[in-house]
Amino acid sequence: MDNVKISIRQFTILVILFTIGTAILIIPAPIALIAKQDAWISALMGIGMGVLLMLLYSALGSQYPGLTLVEMNERLLGKWIGKIVSLGFLYFAFITSSELLYFVGDFLATQIMPDSPLPSLNVLFAVILLMGVRLGLEVFARAAEILFPLCILLFLILVIFIVPEIDIKNMKPMFNAGATNIIQAGMMFTSVASVPVVSMLMIGPVCVNEPQKIRKAFVMGTLIGGIFLFIVIILTVLVLGADFTARQAYPSYVLAKRVNVGHFLQRIEAIVAIMWIITIYFRMMIYYYSAVVGIAQIFKIKDYRSLTLPLGFIAVIFSLIIHPNEAHSIHYNERYWPMFASTFGIFLPLLLLVVSFYRNKMAGKGNA
Amino acid sequence: MWGILGIITVAAIIFGIDGPKLIQQGHKKEMWIFSILLCIGTGLGIALVRRIDLPSPVDWIEALYRIF
Repeated sequence: MDNVKISIRQFTILVILFTIGTAILIIPAPIALIAKQDAWISALMGIGMGVLLMLLYSALGSQYPGLTLVEMNERLLGKWIGKIVSLGFLYFAFITSSELLYFVGDFLATQIMPDSPLPSLNVLFAVILLMGVRLGLEVFARAAEILFPLCILLFLILVIFIVPEIDIKNMKPMFNAGATNIIQAGMMFTSVASVPVVSMLMIGPVCVNEPQKIRKAFVMGTLIGGIFLFIVIILTVLVLGADFTARQAYPSYVLAKRVNVGHFLQRIEAIVAIMWIITIYFRMMIYYYSAVVGIAQIFKIKDYRSLTLPLGFIAVIFSLIIHPNEAHSIHYNERYWPMFASTFGIFLPLLLLVVSFYRNKMAGKGNA
Repeated sequence: MWGILGIITVAAIIFGIDGPKLIQQGHKKEMWIFSILLCIGTGLGIALVRRIDLPSPVDWIEALYRIF
Protein backbone atom coordinates (compact mmCIF):
# COMPACT_ATOMS: atom_id res chain seq x y z
CA MET A 1 0.00 0.00 0.00
CA ASP A 2 1.18 3.50 -0.64
CA ASN A 3 2.59 5.01 2.48
CA VAL A 4 -0.31 6.83 3.99
CA LYS A 5 0.16 7.86 7.53
CA ILE A 6 -2.42 9.11 9.91
CA SER A 7 -1.92 10.29 13.45
CA ILE A 8 -3.01 8.34 16.51
CA ARG A 9 -5.49 11.08 17.28
CA GLN A 10 -7.10 10.72 13.87
CA PHE A 11 -7.24 6.98 14.31
CA THR A 12 -8.91 7.33 17.70
CA ILE A 13 -11.47 9.71 16.25
CA LEU A 14 -12.16 7.24 13.46
CA VAL A 15 -12.74 4.51 16.04
CA ILE A 16 -15.09 6.79 17.97
CA LEU A 17 -17.10 7.72 14.90
CA PHE A 18 -17.14 4.14 13.75
CA THR A 19 -18.39 2.88 17.11
CA ILE A 20 -21.13 5.48 17.28
CA GLY A 21 -21.92 4.90 13.61
CA THR A 22 -25.32 3.44 13.07
CA ALA A 23 -25.53 2.31 16.68
CA ILE A 24 -26.63 5.68 17.87
CA LEU A 25 -29.74 5.52 15.75
CA ILE A 26 -30.74 1.91 15.91
CA ILE A 27 -29.31 0.46 19.07
CA PRO A 28 -31.66 1.83 21.72
CA ALA A 29 -34.69 0.01 20.31
CA PRO A 30 -33.66 -3.66 20.42
CA ILE A 31 -31.84 -3.15 23.71
CA ALA A 32 -34.82 -1.49 25.33
CA LEU A 33 -36.98 -4.30 24.00
CA ILE A 34 -34.98 -6.96 25.80
CA ALA A 35 -33.60 -5.20 28.84
CA LYS A 36 -36.40 -2.69 29.23
CA GLN A 37 -35.58 0.09 31.66
CA ASP A 38 -32.28 -1.56 32.57
CA ALA A 39 -31.01 -0.90 29.07
CA TRP A 40 -28.35 1.38 30.48
CA ILE A 41 -26.84 -1.52 32.39
CA SER A 42 -26.65 -3.48 29.16
CA ALA A 43 -24.93 -0.53 27.56
CA LEU A 44 -22.28 -0.51 30.27
CA MET A 45 -21.72 -4.23 29.88
CA GLY A 46 -21.57 -3.82 26.15
CA ILE A 47 -18.89 -1.17 26.47
CA GLY A 48 -16.91 -3.43 28.78
CA MET A 49 -17.06 -6.31 26.33
CA GLY A 50 -16.11 -3.93 23.57
CA VAL A 51 -12.99 -2.91 25.44
CA LEU A 52 -12.03 -6.58 25.77
CA LEU A 53 -12.39 -6.94 22.03
CA MET A 54 -10.15 -3.95 21.53
CA LEU A 55 -7.47 -5.63 23.61
CA LEU A 56 -7.74 -8.61 21.28
CA TYR A 57 -7.41 -6.45 18.18
CA SER A 58 -4.50 -4.46 19.51
CA ALA A 59 -2.72 -7.64 20.56
CA LEU A 60 -3.02 -8.83 16.98
CA GLY A 61 -2.02 -5.45 15.64
CA SER A 62 1.08 -5.19 17.75
CA GLN A 63 2.23 -8.70 16.82
CA TYR A 64 2.27 -7.74 13.18
CA PRO A 65 2.66 -4.01 12.82
CA GLY A 66 2.71 -2.93 9.24
CA LEU A 67 0.32 -5.66 8.14
CA THR A 68 -3.33 -5.21 7.46
CA LEU A 69 -5.86 -7.87 8.39
CA VAL A 70 -5.86 -9.27 4.87
CA GLU A 71 -2.07 -9.54 4.88
CA MET A 72 -2.17 -11.16 8.30
CA ASN A 73 -4.61 -13.75 7.01
CA GLU A 74 -2.26 -14.69 4.24
CA ARG A 75 0.79 -14.73 6.44
CA LEU A 76 -0.74 -16.81 9.20
CA LEU A 77 -3.14 -19.08 7.38
CA GLY A 78 -1.21 -19.69 4.23
CA LYS A 79 -1.65 -18.18 0.83
CA TRP A 80 -4.84 -19.83 -0.36
CA ILE A 81 -6.76 -20.28 2.87
CA GLY A 82 -5.74 -16.77 3.81
CA LYS A 83 -7.09 -15.39 0.57
CA ILE A 84 -10.36 -17.25 0.93
CA VAL A 85 -10.84 -16.11 4.50
CA SER A 86 -10.00 -12.58 3.45
CA LEU A 87 -12.57 -12.75 0.70
CA GLY A 88 -15.13 -13.66 3.33
CA PHE A 89 -14.15 -10.70 5.44
CA LEU A 90 -14.15 -8.39 2.44
CA TYR A 91 -17.56 -9.57 1.42
CA PHE A 92 -18.71 -8.73 4.93
CA ALA A 93 -17.21 -5.25 4.77
CA PHE A 94 -18.53 -4.60 1.28
CA ILE A 95 -22.05 -5.85 1.96
CA THR A 96 -22.25 -3.91 5.19
CA SER A 97 -21.16 -0.70 3.51
CA SER A 98 -23.87 -1.31 0.93
CA GLU A 99 -26.31 -1.92 3.71
CA LEU A 100 -25.37 1.36 5.34
CA LEU A 101 -26.00 3.07 2.04
CA TYR A 102 -29.44 1.49 2.07
CA PHE A 103 -29.85 2.61 5.64
CA VAL A 104 -28.97 6.23 4.99
CA GLY A 105 -31.25 6.33 1.98
CA ASP A 106 -34.04 4.67 3.92
CA PHE A 107 -33.68 6.99 6.89
CA LEU A 108 -33.72 10.08 4.73
CA ALA A 109 -36.54 8.81 2.59
CA THR A 110 -38.80 7.95 5.48
CA GLN A 111 -38.02 10.72 7.91
CA ILE A 112 -36.87 13.76 6.05
CA MET A 113 -37.39 13.64 2.31
CA PRO A 114 -40.22 11.20 1.63
CA ASP A 115 -40.90 12.43 -1.88
CA SER A 116 -37.45 11.81 -3.27
CA PRO A 117 -36.93 8.58 -5.19
CA LEU A 118 -34.79 6.19 -3.22
CA PRO A 119 -32.23 5.38 -5.92
CA SER A 120 -31.30 9.00 -6.32
CA LEU A 121 -30.68 9.41 -2.60
CA ASN A 122 -28.50 6.31 -2.55
CA VAL A 123 -26.57 7.44 -5.59
CA LEU A 124 -26.04 10.88 -4.12
CA PHE A 125 -24.57 9.46 -0.97
CA ALA A 126 -22.56 6.90 -2.84
CA VAL A 127 -20.94 9.67 -4.86
CA ILE A 128 -19.76 11.38 -1.70
CA LEU A 129 -18.62 8.04 -0.32
CA LEU A 130 -16.59 7.35 -3.43
CA MET A 131 -15.11 10.81 -3.40
CA GLY A 132 -13.98 10.32 0.16
CA VAL A 133 -12.40 6.94 -0.47
CA ARG A 134 -10.74 7.97 -3.71
CA LEU A 135 -9.17 10.98 -2.07
CA GLY A 136 -7.60 8.59 0.35
CA LEU A 137 -7.23 7.75 3.99
CA GLU A 138 -5.28 10.84 4.97
CA VAL A 139 -8.00 13.04 3.59
CA PHE A 140 -10.91 11.39 5.24
CA ALA A 141 -9.04 11.01 8.51
CA ARG A 142 -8.50 14.73 8.48
CA ALA A 143 -12.15 15.24 7.63
CA ALA A 144 -13.05 13.12 10.65
CA GLU A 145 -10.85 15.30 12.81
CA ILE A 146 -12.62 18.39 11.60
CA LEU A 147 -16.15 17.05 11.76
CA PHE A 148 -15.81 15.41 15.14
CA PRO A 149 -16.13 18.63 17.19
CA LEU A 150 -19.26 19.40 15.19
CA CYS A 151 -20.67 16.05 16.21
CA ILE A 152 -19.88 16.74 19.83
CA LEU A 153 -21.58 20.10 19.60
CA LEU A 154 -24.73 18.71 18.00
CA PHE A 155 -24.79 15.89 20.51
CA LEU A 156 -24.51 18.33 23.41
CA ILE A 157 -27.32 20.42 21.98
CA LEU A 158 -29.54 17.38 21.92
CA VAL A 159 -28.58 16.27 25.41
CA ILE A 160 -28.82 19.63 27.10
CA PHE A 161 -32.18 20.49 25.66
CA ILE A 162 -33.75 17.12 26.24
CA VAL A 163 -32.84 16.97 29.91
CA PRO A 164 -35.90 18.99 31.00
CA GLU A 165 -38.08 16.25 29.54
CA ILE A 166 -36.66 13.53 31.75
CA ASP A 167 -39.10 11.59 33.83
CA ILE A 168 -37.09 9.68 36.39
CA LYS A 169 -40.00 7.34 36.99
CA ASN A 170 -39.17 5.72 33.67
CA MET A 171 -36.09 4.16 35.19
CA LYS A 172 -37.97 2.24 37.80
CA PRO A 173 -38.22 -0.49 38.77
CA MET A 174 -34.51 -1.04 38.47
CA PHE A 175 -32.74 -4.34 37.95
CA ASN A 176 -36.02 -5.84 37.04
CA ALA A 177 -35.21 -7.29 33.68
CA GLY A 178 -33.28 -10.31 34.79
CA ALA A 179 -29.60 -11.02 34.31
CA THR A 180 -29.93 -13.08 31.14
CA ASN A 181 -31.85 -10.38 29.36
CA ILE A 182 -29.44 -7.69 30.43
CA ILE A 183 -26.47 -9.74 29.28
CA GLN A 184 -28.13 -10.62 26.01
CA ALA A 185 -28.86 -6.99 25.32
CA GLY A 186 -25.29 -6.16 26.26
CA MET A 187 -24.00 -8.61 23.69
CA MET A 188 -26.26 -7.07 21.11
CA PHE A 189 -24.75 -3.71 21.95
CA THR A 190 -21.23 -5.02 21.49
CA SER A 191 -22.06 -6.79 18.26
CA VAL A 192 -23.27 -3.59 16.66
CA ALA A 193 -20.90 -1.10 18.20
CA SER A 194 -17.61 -2.89 18.69
CA VAL A 195 -17.37 -6.16 16.82
CA PRO A 196 -17.19 -4.52 13.40
CA VAL A 197 -14.26 -2.41 14.61
CA VAL A 198 -12.17 -5.33 13.36
CA SER A 199 -12.37 -3.50 10.03
CA MET A 200 -10.09 -0.90 11.53
CA LEU A 201 -7.39 -3.57 11.43
CA MET A 202 -7.22 -2.86 7.73
CA ILE A 203 -6.17 0.67 8.61
CA GLY A 204 -4.64 0.55 12.04
CA PRO A 205 -1.34 -1.20 12.22
CA VAL A 206 -0.25 -0.05 8.81
CA CYS A 207 -1.07 3.56 8.64
CA VAL A 208 -0.50 4.91 12.06
CA ASN A 209 2.74 6.67 12.68
CA GLU A 210 3.07 5.34 16.22
CA PRO A 211 2.01 1.70 16.12
CA GLN A 212 2.69 1.02 19.76
CA LYS A 213 -0.01 3.45 20.81
CA ILE A 214 -2.65 1.56 18.91
CA ARG A 215 -4.03 -0.17 21.94
CA LYS A 216 -4.70 3.11 23.64
CA ALA A 217 -6.41 4.40 20.51
CA PHE A 218 -8.69 1.38 20.17
CA VAL A 219 -9.66 1.39 23.84
CA MET A 220 -10.13 5.15 24.16
CA GLY A 221 -12.12 5.18 20.97
CA THR A 222 -14.43 2.47 22.23
CA LEU A 223 -14.82 4.12 25.61
CA ILE A 224 -15.62 7.53 24.23
CA GLY A 225 -17.92 6.16 21.55
CA GLY A 226 -19.48 4.01 24.23
CA ILE A 227 -20.14 7.04 26.40
CA PHE A 228 -22.03 8.70 23.56
CA LEU A 229 -24.13 5.57 23.08
CA PHE A 230 -24.67 5.13 26.80
CA ILE A 231 -25.98 8.66 27.11
CA VAL A 232 -28.32 8.18 24.19
CA ILE A 233 -29.66 4.91 25.56
CA ILE A 234 -30.21 6.24 29.02
CA LEU A 235 -31.87 9.37 27.68
CA THR A 236 -34.23 7.48 25.44
CA VAL A 237 -35.34 5.35 28.37
CA LEU A 238 -35.62 8.32 30.72
CA VAL A 239 -37.52 10.54 28.34
CA LEU A 240 -39.49 8.18 26.16
CA GLY A 241 -39.82 5.18 28.42
CA ALA A 242 -38.62 1.69 27.65
CA ASP A 243 -41.76 0.47 25.91
CA PHE A 244 -42.03 3.37 23.55
CA THR A 245 -38.33 3.23 22.77
CA ALA A 246 -38.56 -0.44 21.93
CA ARG A 247 -41.23 0.28 19.37
CA GLN A 248 -39.44 2.98 17.43
CA ALA A 249 -37.26 2.42 14.43
CA TYR A 250 -35.08 5.39 15.30
CA PRO A 251 -35.53 6.23 18.98
CA SER A 252 -32.86 8.90 19.17
CA TYR A 253 -34.52 10.70 16.28
CA VAL A 254 -37.78 10.71 18.20
CA LEU A 255 -35.80 12.03 21.13
CA ALA A 256 -34.65 14.96 19.04
CA LYS A 257 -38.20 15.65 17.99
CA ARG A 258 -39.19 15.93 21.62
CA VAL A 259 -36.93 18.86 22.32
CA ASN A 260 -39.13 21.76 23.09
CA VAL A 261 -37.63 24.67 25.00
CA GLY A 262 -40.26 27.17 25.85
CA HIS A 263 -42.17 26.37 22.65
CA PHE A 264 -39.43 28.26 20.92
CA LEU A 265 -36.59 25.87 20.29
CA GLN A 266 -38.36 23.07 18.50
CA ARG A 267 -38.00 20.69 15.58
CA ILE A 268 -34.27 20.50 15.89
CA GLU A 269 -34.23 16.93 14.67
CA ALA A 270 -32.93 17.81 11.22
CA ILE A 271 -29.94 19.55 12.74
CA VAL A 272 -29.20 16.60 14.95
CA ALA A 273 -29.67 14.34 11.94
CA ILE A 274 -26.56 15.97 10.56
CA MET A 275 -24.58 14.38 13.35
CA TRP A 276 -25.98 10.97 12.54
CA ILE A 277 -25.28 11.31 8.88
CA ILE A 278 -21.69 12.16 9.73
CA THR A 279 -21.24 9.14 11.98
CA ILE A 280 -22.93 6.80 9.53
CA TYR A 281 -20.77 8.21 6.79
CA PHE A 282 -17.53 7.45 8.48
CA ARG A 283 -18.64 3.97 9.31
CA MET A 284 -19.62 3.45 5.68
CA MET A 285 -16.31 4.85 4.47
CA ILE A 286 -14.28 2.65 6.72
CA TYR A 287 -16.14 -0.49 5.64
CA TYR A 288 -15.85 0.45 2.01
CA TYR A 289 -12.22 1.46 2.31
CA SER A 290 -11.44 -1.87 4.01
CA ALA A 291 -13.18 -3.74 1.23
CA VAL A 292 -11.44 -1.90 -1.59
CA VAL A 293 -7.98 -1.97 -0.05
CA GLY A 294 -8.50 -5.61 0.87
CA ILE A 295 -9.39 -6.59 -2.68
CA ALA A 296 -6.38 -4.70 -3.94
CA GLN A 297 -4.18 -6.59 -1.51
CA ILE A 298 -5.60 -9.99 -2.39
CA PHE A 299 -4.86 -9.46 -6.05
CA LYS A 300 -1.61 -7.71 -5.31
CA ILE A 301 -2.64 -4.48 -7.00
CA LYS A 302 -0.57 -1.49 -6.12
CA ASP A 303 -3.13 1.26 -6.19
CA TYR A 304 -6.56 0.56 -4.82
CA ARG A 305 -7.94 3.76 -6.28
CA SER A 306 -8.67 2.33 -9.68
CA LEU A 307 -11.07 -0.15 -8.10
CA THR A 308 -13.14 2.37 -6.18
CA LEU A 309 -15.50 3.39 -8.94
CA PRO A 310 -16.53 0.02 -10.36
CA LEU A 311 -16.94 -1.37 -6.86
CA GLY A 312 -18.92 1.69 -5.95
CA PHE A 313 -21.22 1.06 -8.87
CA ILE A 314 -21.83 -2.46 -7.60
CA ALA A 315 -22.25 -1.18 -4.04
CA VAL A 316 -25.01 1.19 -5.07
CA ILE A 317 -26.86 -1.52 -6.93
CA PHE A 318 -26.49 -3.84 -3.98
CA SER A 319 -27.84 -1.15 -1.70
CA LEU A 320 -30.98 -1.04 -3.78
CA ILE A 321 -31.58 -4.77 -3.79
CA ILE A 322 -30.24 -5.75 -0.41
CA HIS A 323 -33.47 -5.39 1.52
CA PRO A 324 -36.75 -5.54 -0.35
CA ASN A 325 -38.54 -4.23 2.70
CA GLU A 326 -38.03 -3.12 6.25
CA ALA A 327 -39.07 -6.45 7.73
CA HIS A 328 -36.35 -8.22 5.80
CA SER A 329 -33.86 -5.68 7.07
CA ILE A 330 -34.89 -6.12 10.68
CA HIS A 331 -34.88 -9.90 10.37
CA TYR A 332 -31.42 -9.93 8.84
CA ASN A 333 -29.99 -7.50 11.36
CA GLU A 334 -31.36 -9.29 14.37
CA ARG A 335 -30.90 -12.85 13.34
CA TYR A 336 -27.96 -13.12 10.97
CA TRP A 337 -25.81 -10.04 11.11
CA PRO A 338 -24.48 -10.55 14.67
CA MET A 339 -23.24 -14.03 13.74
CA PHE A 340 -21.82 -12.88 10.45
CA ALA A 341 -20.03 -9.98 12.13
CA SER A 342 -18.77 -12.14 14.97
CA THR A 343 -17.22 -14.62 12.57
CA PHE A 344 -14.82 -11.92 11.46
CA GLY A 345 -14.87 -9.73 14.53
CA ILE A 346 -14.38 -12.33 17.22
CA PHE A 347 -13.63 -15.71 15.76
CA LEU A 348 -11.13 -14.68 13.11
CA PRO A 349 -8.93 -12.47 15.33
CA LEU A 350 -8.90 -15.19 18.00
CA LEU A 351 -7.92 -17.76 15.41
CA LEU A 352 -5.16 -15.55 14.07
CA LEU A 353 -3.82 -14.89 17.56
CA VAL A 354 -3.80 -18.59 18.39
CA VAL A 355 -2.04 -19.43 15.14
CA SER A 356 0.51 -16.71 15.72
CA PHE A 357 1.22 -17.99 19.26
CA TYR A 358 1.68 -21.46 17.89
CA ARG A 359 4.00 -20.25 15.16
CA ASN A 360 6.10 -18.26 17.60
CA LYS A 361 6.40 -21.29 19.78
CA MET A 362 7.55 -23.42 16.86
CA ALA A 363 10.04 -20.78 15.85
CA GLY A 364 11.26 -20.58 19.44
CA LYS A 365 11.82 -24.34 19.59
CA GLY A 366 13.69 -24.23 16.32
CA ASN A 367 16.06 -21.59 17.61
CA ALA A 368 16.72 -23.35 20.90
CA MET B 1 -34.76 1.76 -23.06
CA TRP B 2 -33.69 4.90 -21.30
CA GLY B 3 -32.76 3.00 -18.20
CA ILE B 4 -30.38 0.77 -20.07
CA LEU B 5 -28.88 3.76 -21.83
CA GLY B 6 -28.45 5.43 -18.47
CA ILE B 7 -26.62 2.47 -16.99
CA ILE B 8 -24.35 2.18 -19.99
CA THR B 9 -23.65 5.89 -19.80
CA VAL B 10 -22.62 5.55 -16.17
CA ALA B 11 -20.40 2.61 -17.02
CA ALA B 12 -18.85 4.60 -19.84
CA ILE B 13 -18.21 7.53 -17.54
CA ILE B 14 -16.55 5.28 -14.98
CA PHE B 15 -14.41 3.80 -17.70
CA GLY B 16 -13.62 7.26 -18.97
CA ILE B 17 -12.48 8.46 -15.58
CA ASP B 18 -10.13 5.62 -14.79
CA GLY B 19 -9.63 3.65 -17.98
CA PRO B 20 -7.17 5.74 -19.98
CA LYS B 21 -4.83 6.04 -17.04
CA LEU B 22 -4.80 2.29 -16.58
CA ILE B 23 -4.26 1.64 -20.27
CA GLN B 24 -1.40 4.13 -20.31
CA GLN B 25 0.28 2.53 -17.38
CA GLY B 26 -0.21 -0.85 -18.93
CA HIS B 27 -0.94 -2.69 -15.70
CA LYS B 28 -2.61 -5.75 -17.08
CA LYS B 29 -3.96 -7.12 -13.83
CA GLU B 30 -5.55 -3.82 -12.86
CA MET B 31 -7.16 -3.48 -16.27
CA TRP B 32 -8.62 -6.94 -16.02
CA ILE B 33 -10.07 -6.58 -12.57
CA PHE B 34 -11.33 -3.09 -13.28
CA SER B 35 -13.07 -4.28 -16.44
CA ILE B 36 -14.52 -7.39 -14.84
CA LEU B 37 -15.92 -5.39 -11.95
CA LEU B 38 -17.28 -2.80 -14.31
CA CYS B 39 -18.98 -5.47 -16.39
CA ILE B 40 -20.51 -7.05 -13.31
CA GLY B 41 -21.75 -3.65 -12.26
CA THR B 42 -23.20 -2.88 -15.66
CA GLY B 43 -24.90 -6.26 -15.84
CA LEU B 44 -26.44 -5.83 -12.41
CA GLY B 45 -27.44 -2.30 -13.27
CA ILE B 46 -29.25 -3.35 -16.40
CA ALA B 47 -31.01 -6.12 -14.49
CA LEU B 48 -32.05 -3.60 -11.88
CA VAL B 49 -33.41 -1.15 -14.40
CA ARG B 50 -35.32 -3.85 -16.21
CA ARG B 51 -36.88 -4.74 -12.87
CA ILE B 52 -35.59 -8.27 -13.01
CA ASP B 53 -35.88 -9.87 -9.60
CA LEU B 54 -32.38 -10.01 -8.23
CA PRO B 55 -31.61 -12.09 -5.16
CA SER B 56 -30.46 -10.02 -2.22
CA PRO B 57 -26.75 -10.38 -1.52
CA VAL B 58 -27.56 -11.40 1.99
CA ASP B 59 -29.72 -14.30 0.89
CA TRP B 60 -26.92 -16.75 0.85
CA ILE B 61 -25.45 -15.40 4.06
CA GLU B 62 -28.76 -16.28 5.63
CA ALA B 63 -28.68 -19.71 4.01
CA LEU B 64 -25.17 -20.28 5.33
CA TYR B 65 -25.84 -19.19 8.87
CA ARG B 66 -29.16 -20.92 9.12
CA ILE B 67 -27.22 -24.01 10.06
CA PHE B 68 -26.62 -22.54 13.49
